[in-house]
Amino acid sequence: MQPDTDRTARGFLAVYEEITRLISMVHDPKMVMELVVARLPDLLAVDAATIRLLDRNSGSFVLKAARGVSAEYLARTNIDSQEVMAALRQGVPRSTTDLESALDQESLAIIRREGVKSVLSVPVLFQQEVIGVLRLLTRETREFVDSEITFVMSLAAQMGIAITNSRIFQEMERQVHFLGELREISRLVNSTLDLDQIIGAIVDKLPEVMAVMGCTVRLLHPATNRLQLVAASGLSQSYLERGSIKGEDSIFKVLKGEPVAIYDATTDPRVDFHQAIRDEGIKSILAVPITDGSEVIGVLRLLTREHRSFSDSEISFAMAVAEEGGSAIQKARTYRQITLLFNQIEEQERFLSNILDCIRPQLLVVDRNRRVVMANRAFLLANGRSEEEVLGMEYSHFCSDGDEADSCPVDQVLASKKMATSLQQVDREGISRSYERAATPMLNGDGEVEFVIEVIRDVTAQRRLETEQARRNKLEGVVELAGTVAHEINTPLFAALGNAQLLELDLEEDEQVEEVRTIIRNLKAIADLTAKMATMTGYTTRDYVGNTRIVDLD
Amino acid sequence: MAVILVLDDVLDAVVLTRKILERKGHVVHCFTEEEEAIAFAGNNPVDLAILDIKLKKMSGIQVLEELKAVAPDIRAIMLTGYPTVETAKEAVELGASEYCVKPIDKWELEQKVGRVLAL
Repeated sequence: MQPDTDRTARGFLAVYEEITRLISMVHDPKMVMELVVARLPDLLAVDAATIRLLDRNSGSFVLKAARGVSAEYLARTNIDSQEVMAALRQGVPRSTTDLESALDQESLAIIRREGVKSVLSVPVLFQQEVIGVLRLLTRETREFVDSEITFVMSLAAQMGIAITNSRIFQEMERQVHFLGELREISRLVNSTLDLDQIIGAIVDKLPEVMAVMGCTVRLLHPATNRLQLVAASGLSQSYLERGSIKGEDSIFKVLKGEPVAIYDATTDPRVDFHQAIRDEGIKSILAVPITDGSEVIGVLRLLTREHRSFSDSEISFAMAVAEEGGSAIQKARTYRQITLLFNQIEEQERFLSNILDCIRPQLLVVDRNRRVVMANRAFLLANGRSEEEVLGMEYSHFCSDGDEADSCPVDQVLASKKMATSLQQVDREGISRSYERAATPMLNGDGEVEFVIEVIRDVTAQRRLETEQARRNKLEGVVELAGTVAHEINTPLFAALGNAQLLELDLEEDEQVEEVRTIIRNLKAIADLTAKMATMTGYTTRDYVGNTRIVDLD
Repeated sequence: MAVILVLDDVLDAVVLTRKILERKGHVVHCFTEEEEAIAFAGNNPVDLAILDIKLKKMSGIQVLEELKAVAPDIRAIMLTGYPTVETAKEAVELGASEYCVKPIDKWELEQKVGRVLAL
C-alpha cells in the first residue's frame, strides 16, 4: 500500500503544483475557473467538473464554468439535494453515489440522461467563508476517499484564494477604470448648463462604461414631486411606455436613497411589468438614486441583457455618476430658472420701456446726484440726443441755469421731497413754446429721495387754447353787452324818435322845426350805432385816451 | 280803419305807437301787461297786433302764440330792440307778417301797418 499511497500523494502534489502554477498566471477569475474545470477531470480521473459561485444578492450559486456535461444538465433548477446544499453552505464537502434519493423527479430524469453516477461537491472557501461550489462528476460509480476529498478541498481553497485575488485585482482594475470614466462623465456633465445635454451625456455614456444594454433617467418634478422619465437609451419605446413604475418597491427604496440591485428582473417582486421586462430581453436591473447633496431628485436605472450580480464597485460607480449628474442637473435647473427670470425681467423692462416710449410727454428720471438714469423716446427726440448720450448726463443740461429760478422742479423735489411743478417758456428759432415740468420724488426705505421722475409736457397748444377761450369769453361778453345796450336803448330811442317826428309835423315855426330835426338826426345817429351793436359778432379796439382802449364800431 | 292792439313793456313806446296810428284813423288799444292784451283779444275783434319781443313776463313770441289760439285770424307785426335769427324765425312760423327793428321810423311804421292790413 505504501508505494500506492506515495504515488497518489505525488500525483496530488503534481496536480496541485500544476493548478497553482496555472492559476497564479491569470488575474481573471473566469479564466481561473475555466482552467480548473478544464484540467481537473484529467488530473483526477473524473468525467466532468463544474464551478458555481455564490451570488450575494440572490443567495444562490451561479454557474461560472463547466466541462464534460451537457447544457441541459447545467440548466436544471436544483443543483443537488437540499441536504447536500445545506452542508456545502456550512463549508462541509459531500461525496454522493446515491443520486436517486432526495432529488425531485425532473432533476433525476436529467441526471439519468446525463449518466452521472457519483458526485463530489466541495465548498470553495476564502477566509472560512463559502464563496462557491466545486463539483466533480463521474459516469461510473465512484467512492471518493478522504484523501481525495481533502485534496479537492485544498485545491478548492487554493482556487478560492485565486478567484478572490483575481476578483480583487479585477475590482481594482475596474475601480481605476471607473475613476477615469467618472472623471470623464463629471467633465461632460459639468461642461454645460444645458439640462438636456447633461442627462443625455449620462444615458449615452454610462451604458457603454458599465457594459449594460440600457439606461433610464427619471427626475422628480419640482412642482408635483412626481417621477418623470426624462431620458433613456438602449430601450424600445413600447418598453418605456409600459406604465407607471411609481408604485414599485425598488423605486420606493431608491427614493429613500438606497441602491437596488435586482439579479432576475423577470420575476423579482421589487419591480412590476415582468412580461414587458421579458419582452425587452432585460435580465438584471441596477437602480440608484440621483442626488443633489442629501436630497434625492430622481432615479437612474441600468438594465442588462444578461443576468448580472452588480459588484460593490459597480454600484458605487453608478451612485457616484448619479450624484455627479444630480449636482449638475440641479445646477442646470437653477441656471434655467435664473435664465427664465432674466428673460422675464428683460421682457418686463421692454414692456415698460415701450409704454414709456409711447407716452407723449417727455419723461426723465434723475438720481439724487442729478444724473440722468432714464429718458423716454419723446424726451430724446425733443432734445435731439441718443439714449447713450443722455444717460449719465447732468440734469442742468436739460434745465439750464439760464432758466427762471423755479423752473427746474427737480431741485425743488430734492430739497423738499415733495412733488413740484413749474411752467417753462422756451424760445427756439423765433417760436415760443410753453412746457409744464412736473417732478415727483421716488423715496427709498429711509424716506430719502432715491430718484426724481420728471414729466415734461408741451402745453403750448393748451395755453393757446386757453388764451383763445379767454378771448372768446371776452367777445361773448362784449357781444352780449352790446346786445343788451342795443335792446335797452332802442325802445326808449323809438319813443323819443317817434315823438320827435310827430313834433316835427306839429310845429309851425321854422326855427323850432329845425331844432326838432337836429334832435331827430342825432337820435337816428344813435339808432345807427345801436344797430351796429346789435349785429356785431366780433370786435376790434382802438385807442381812446392814455392806456384806455374802446371798441371800434366802425 | 282797423282795430289795432299794441303791447310793449315801455309805456312811452305804446303811447307813441297809438299816437302815430290814431292819426291814420285806426282804433288803437294799448297794453303793457301780457295777460290783459291776450284777454282783450279773446273778447274783442282785433285786426292787427303790434308786439314787442321783450316783455315783462312772457316773450312777444309766446304772446303771439296765445293770440293766435284765441283769435286765429289776427295779423301781427313784431317789434324788437335786439333782433335775433331765432326770434325772427319763430315769429314768421307763428304767422307774424313783419319783424321790425326799433327804433322804427314813423313813416316806416305807417307803411308796414298799411301793407299788413291790406293783406
